Amino acid sequence: MIAALATAGLFALAGALFLLPLIPAIVELRLKRDAQALNVIQQYAGDIRHFSFGFRSYASDLLASLERCVASGETATGTLPHGDRYLLLGRADTTQLLPLSASEKKCDFVVAAGTDLTLPDGITFAKEMYASRQLTGGANCTYRAILSDDEVRLGRASKVIRWAHAAKSIHAEQDCDLYGRISSEVEIDLQAGCFFQRLHAPRIAFGLPAAQQDSAGALPLDQPAEPISSFIAAGRRLVDGDLKIPAREIVEGSIVTRGGLHIGAGAQILGSVKSNHHLSVDSGAFVAGSLISATTMHIGADCQIGGPVIAEHEILIESGSRCGTFDRPTTVSAPVIAVEEGVVAFGTIWARHEGHAVAKP
Amino acid sequence: MIYCLFAIVAVISLYTARHYWFTLNRLFGFQRHPYIDTDTADWPQVTILVAGHNEEKVISHILAALMGVNYPPEKMLVVPVNDRSTDRTREIIDRFCQDHPGRIRPFHRTGGKGGKAAALKDAMELVGTEVILIFDADYIPGTGLIKQLVAPFFDPEVGGVMGRVVPLNVGTNLLTRLLDLERSGGYQVDQQARMNLRLVPQHGGTVAGVRLSALREIGGWNDDSLTEDTDLTYRLLLHGWKTVYQNRSECYEEVPETWQVRIKQIMRWAKGHNQALASYGLRLLFGKHRATLRERIDGFLLLGVYIMAPVTLLGWLLALSVFYEGIAPLHGVIALLSITAYSAVGNFAAFFEIAAAARLDYTRQRICLLPFLILGFGVSIFSVSRAFVSQLMAPLTGAQFHWDKTERFRTTP
Repeated sequence: MIAALATAGLFALAGALFLLPLIPAIVELRLKRDAQALNVIQQYAGDIRHFSFGFRSYASDLLASLERCVASGETATGTLPHGDRYLLLGRADTTQLLPLSASEKKCDFVVAAGTDLTLPDGITFAKEMYASRQLTGGANCTYRAILSDDEVRLGRASKVIRWAHAAKSIHAEQDCDLYGRISSEVEIDLQAGCFFQRLHAPRIAFGLPAAQQDSAGALPLDQPAEPISSFIAAGRRLVDGDLKIPAREIVEGSIVTRGGLHIGAGAQILGSVKSNHHLSVDSGAFVAGSLISATTMHIGADCQIGGPVIAEHEILIESGSRCGTFDRPTTVSAPVIAVEEGVVAFGTIWARHEGHAVAKP
Repeated sequence: MIYCLFAIVAVISLYTARHYWFTLNRLFGFQRHPYIDTDTADWPQVTILVAGHNEEKVISHILAALMGVNYPPEKMLVVPVNDRSTDRTREIIDRFCQDHPGRIRPFHRTGGKGGKAAALKDAMELVGTEVILIFDADYIPGTGLIKQLVAPFFDPEVGGVMGRVVPLNVGTNLLTRLLDLERSGGYQVDQQARMNLRLVPQHGGTVAGVRLSALREIGGWNDDSLTEDTDLTYRLLLHGWKTVYQNRSECYEEVPETWQVRIKQIMRWAKGHNQALASYGLRLLFGKHRATLRERIDGFLLLGVYIMAPVTLLGWLLALSVFYEGIAPLHGVIALLSITAYSAVGNFAAFFEIAAAARLDYTRQRICLLPFLILGFGVSIFSVSRAFVSQLMAPLTGAQFHWDKTERFRTTP
């Protein structure tokens, strides 16, 4: 009898030990605490204007109040639905009313301005800022986020922490740090020393304001005046090792190299280009399609690239080069991108780790 | 017998090492997503093929989703490939055509050879674009997915693109929860690691794309294949085209909710994979083509994954036989240590991979279900072995391969 009980007890114990690691599984199976589908973003938060749209929607009541302030020339304060305090500026000369903490020159209010607004130096705006007219920032200011229905001019060494979107142009003076998403419906221009991550505008200029550059990326001499579609369909040449394309050579179709690729000065590639190692393009070259490197890429001066420019590690673009055109915008993307003054890109520049506008040597 | 067992242990160890390599790469290695940031471009014309057979439960969902994507409408044509449906699929598609004139051109197939590859092959008469995307009818693409899947084709080396499949009906029952974990491991770790390591990401035949000129170069769709996606992957590779995986291009799918449907599905996959192994395995390893050495080795191992189920079963049988015959191939202590080491490390390689995937997906509680995966693996190992045996017997029994459509479970019309 005792032996039978002992055997039964042993089996029960063995069974319990077997089930013990299954207890969390059984609990999860019954309670379904984590049984939802993965959150695949159906609304596509990847759109560069996602946050600015969200803020405009969040602050829609505030913007209606702002119109009344502008009409009466007054300022107003209040609290938004989620608890953020706000300040509405209805006149151009009211920036002295900004509620700043004395020691840090920090403003914890969502600020909305209904007229042209010029900000003093060195202020930190810890909440979003909206400007319906031109916003001119002082030097060394820090902004959490900016939404503007007009132009934005950021003073020297300013910082944007999350995003900025302007219906007109965005101009950043030297040494600004532009984290996150910066977008404009018209143009972005960055002076040397600026750092950036993601820029999007019909025209993105480095170093020189638009007025001093050609208007739509005119092609250098000897290059096809009629743009070829940047998506090149057929006809590719596979090269197992390195390849050098001589200067002024004209190549029809696409090229894929398993090694490095060097495109000589003034060469024209009427197709797309892919290199699995370093890709260098000498000055004045033209590539109708995309330019892709599995490692690093160096685009010399005065080159014209029609399609996407992608490197898996790093891109350097020298002065005078153009990526895309106004009618055929494109993307320049790499973890690290360095762009010299005088470069113009049309569309998007996306540096996952760090983009840098550098002075022309 | 003992040498056969040694060989099996060596092969299993190779796959174990491969699991760990992939997982550690995903956790600590350099992650390649070269095309995902291409959000502005002169987008090319694209044809989107939606393959379906009796899809009245799901077809409206994918068509509605495709009408809402952010790809330029004038550059996108949706072609629902209605393969001999006998339910309301045709009626639903035609209604969408009327509601979205010029954006949907249906291909109603009423006869011909069965199977997805045969249907896609016939539908090619409507395709005139260089980029073709393919979805199964139960998938629900997000707003930005089409651009994400087209972007890699700006790379002239790319012949095929594959996105990530995410189960939608996760919480239905134990099976759907286990499949969710398996999918997570397979895509979040396996596929992305292959992409990172420049190996052979697999074309999945849905949430996927192919370049028309590449497809023509390799001879079009192979309608003799049960898994046209695997077949496509290897023919592209042998012709010097790359297939790339986009882990952040996610798309919802419906996973099987009953074990019968799951078993049929995995048996078809196993047969198709084995077909591809027989067709391309040796040529991939030793043939003269443009695949790199690492692509040859990884590609061959990938082709062999479904063979591993009968091989493992055979290993178990041999191990038992060796034990009962009293053959002691190693010193007792070494044998004991080997078994202990393999139990601690080898058996858990796949589980480690799935746990890492759950971590990368920022999910937490669902990983508690990991021990139940034994059940899923058990079912898979016997189903896949059964498929293998039936494939071996086919020449003797005269059995023909046939396409088993995966049943849908969605209830909303």
